[in-house]
Amino acid sequence: MIYLLEDAINGILMGSIYGLAALGLTLIFGVLKVINFAHGSLLMVGMYAAYWAVLLTGAHPYLALVIVLPLMFAFGYLLQAVVIQPIFKAEREVREPITVIIVTTGVWYILDNLGLLVFGPQYRNIQDNPLRGKMIEAGEMLISVPKLWGFCAALVTAALVWLFLQKTRMGRAVRATSLDRDAASLQGINPYRIYNIAFGLGTAVAGVAGVALVPFYNVFPTVGVLFDIKCFIIVVLGGLGSIGGALLGGMIIGVIESVGPQFMTATWTEAIVYGLFLGFLFLRPSGLFGVKYDW
Amino acid sequence: MKSYRILAVSALCCGLLLWAAAEAPAQAVVKVGNILPLSGPSASVGLQNKQAQDMAVQEINDAGGIKSLGGAKIQMLYADSESKPEKGVAEAERFINTEKVHILTGAWNSAVSYPVSAVAERYQIPFLVPVSVADKITEQGFKYVFRIAAKDSWWTRDQFAFLKDLQAEFNTKISTLAFVYENGDWGKGFAEGWKKHAQAGGYKVVLDEPYPSTATDLSPVVQKIKRANPDVLLLTSNAADAILLTNTMAEYKVKPKAIIASGGGHADPSYLKAAGKNARYLFDIVEWETDVNKPGAKETNEKFKKLYGYNLTGESVDAYAAMYVLADALERAASTDPKAIRDALAKTRLTKGPAMIVGYDAIEFDESGQNKHAALVMVQVNDLGKGLERITVWPKASRRAGYKPVFPIP
Repeated sequence: MIYLLEDAINGILMGSIYGLAALGLTLIFGVLKVINFAHGSLLMVGMYAAYWAVLLTGAHPYLALVIVLPLMFAFGYLLQAVVIQPIFKAEREVREPITVIIVTTGVWYILDNLGLLVFGPQYRNIQDNPLRGKMIEAGEMLISVPKLWGFCAALVTAALVWLFLQKTRMGRAVRATSLDRDAASLQGINPYRIYNIAFGLGTAVAGVAGVALVPFYNVFPTVGVLFDIKCFIIVVLGGLGSIGGALLGGMIIGVIESVGPQFMTATWTEAIVYGLFLGFLFLRPSGLFGVKYDW
Repeated sequence: MKSYRILAVSALCCGLLLWAAAEAPAQAVVKVGNILPLSGPSASVGLQNKQAQDMAVQEINDAGGIKSLGGAKIQMLYADSESKPEKGVAEAERFINTEKVHILTGAWNSAVSYPVSAVAERYQIPFLVPVSVADKITEQGFKYVFRIAAKDSWWTRDQFAFLKDLQAEFNTKISTLAFVYENGDWGKGFAEGWKKHAQAGGYKVVLDEPYPSTATDLSPVVQKIKRANPDVLLLTSNAADAILLTNTMAEYKVKPKAIIASGGGHADPSYLKAAGKNARYLFDIVEWETDVNKPGAKETNEKFKKLYGYNLTGESVDAYAAMYVLADALERAASTDPKAIRDALAKTRLTKGPAMIVGYDAIEFDESGQNKHAALVMVQVNDLGKGLERITVWPKASRRAGYKPVFPIP
């Protein structure tokens, strides 16, 4: 019984980090109505940014956010403004332009291979940081400290993003654009600028996920691919565009992955996750919290 | 009208010249199609293979190329398999049909080499496999497949032989084993061997756990190891998961008496860097180690390290030696005809030259195309005051002088 509890806690912690990684994806989708296939690569960029920031300054991994956040926001903002925006403009009549999906796929390949060129294929992690390998011992249970930090980071980030969207003028503009691009521009909102901001925000959130992962995970150029697929599943599970859905979807997957192996081999949990994904697509394509009319 | 004719004639002349120019050097190169995982999950080891082969090819070409072919140079063409079987097959077909290569080599991943071997056999192009260890690659009755590395059944055989010697040397009984392996062709092949040997050796298997190599969290698997509490843990992992497993096991304080790994990810140079002190006392089985007692090994390793900044691994040495096996076969074949190269490869008996930095004394292929002399050693990761290093411990004859293995893990 205690084993189950221990595994469930690990699953919730790890799952919240998956959710954090998926949060950026769902955010970008909610506004741009486009699946960003480069999201895993953005996470990779965030992890490298965090890795170098921590390695060079020797600071606490979460202090690296001071560098990583603005860097990633600027990176996402520019990526959208320079690379993706022209396609949007060319297809302004279409609500969900397919070509943009293809462009993001191109960005994914280019970023991953740039990572391979610049950083090499080596697996890196930070040996000496205050979080590495730390465990809380609660009776017989062991709880990973870096994952606990990741869990907190996920909750705080989700809350901040929610507050930004609900309470600020800019957030309202983002929501307005997400609901109806044309109506929003009639109110004097420049939708392309909102796209840039949403993309920058999504990328910055991927940066937070990178910071959360770096204390206990490896950094390598194709690391994004491992999380990419999970993010897509989580976003479908939680509902496209839903912040709470991303967190909850992440936790569901985390718990399946963590508790499942105690009853079967670890390989099977993947099948369960994909099965759940298919089930949702068939029975509830809008996910747990997705808005039905949007689909 | 007239100017058109002049244009047409001169275009034709240009074309002819180009054709002649393209034809002439074609005599002077041997085209080798090399399929490797240069991106994707095995990119790190793929690059190590590529660099070892680049170095060998450079040496061969600088030394005058293939003399019996008038100094023909070896031209290496690379294709990226991304560790995907279907990609490897497509690239093999492209190499054979479009690039007209004379020989194929690669493909690191057993799962890729296996289908590629069928393509090579169908087109009758020799396929020289340096490192893919799955038994079945040379057990299909093919005539065009040659492998340098030891088969994986030999790896598991030697792991259990080592286990037996270890118990005798330290007078400690080992009764329970746990198997944890990546769920690809390679890992499953090892696990089958382990099961057979465990049964024959009278060990009790308390955990038999495949896991996906792409897993982002291995703590559930580590928890299972902890709860099964085996005496000895056997691992087959790729690099990312090897690092993750080692670090997670340290976090959860999992300490079996010994951990025996199977090369691959555990032999990747970035493994020691990324796992750090958590990797201490790990046993690993490899074909080669930098402290091997063979003439030229040290110099070759130093040259490699200077070029690329890290040590040769057993796999890189196989890849390096494969290029010399190829050069030797080409020299004897005195032809770029794939059939002639194949026949020369089958008659290989290489006992000297740079390839002999391998841990054994000859490279010779049996009927099935398997290098019958390939042998393995066990190493232990330990820190003797100069940082973590891999120290040869088994067979006892090859053990580094003065080193006593640490067992059980303190």
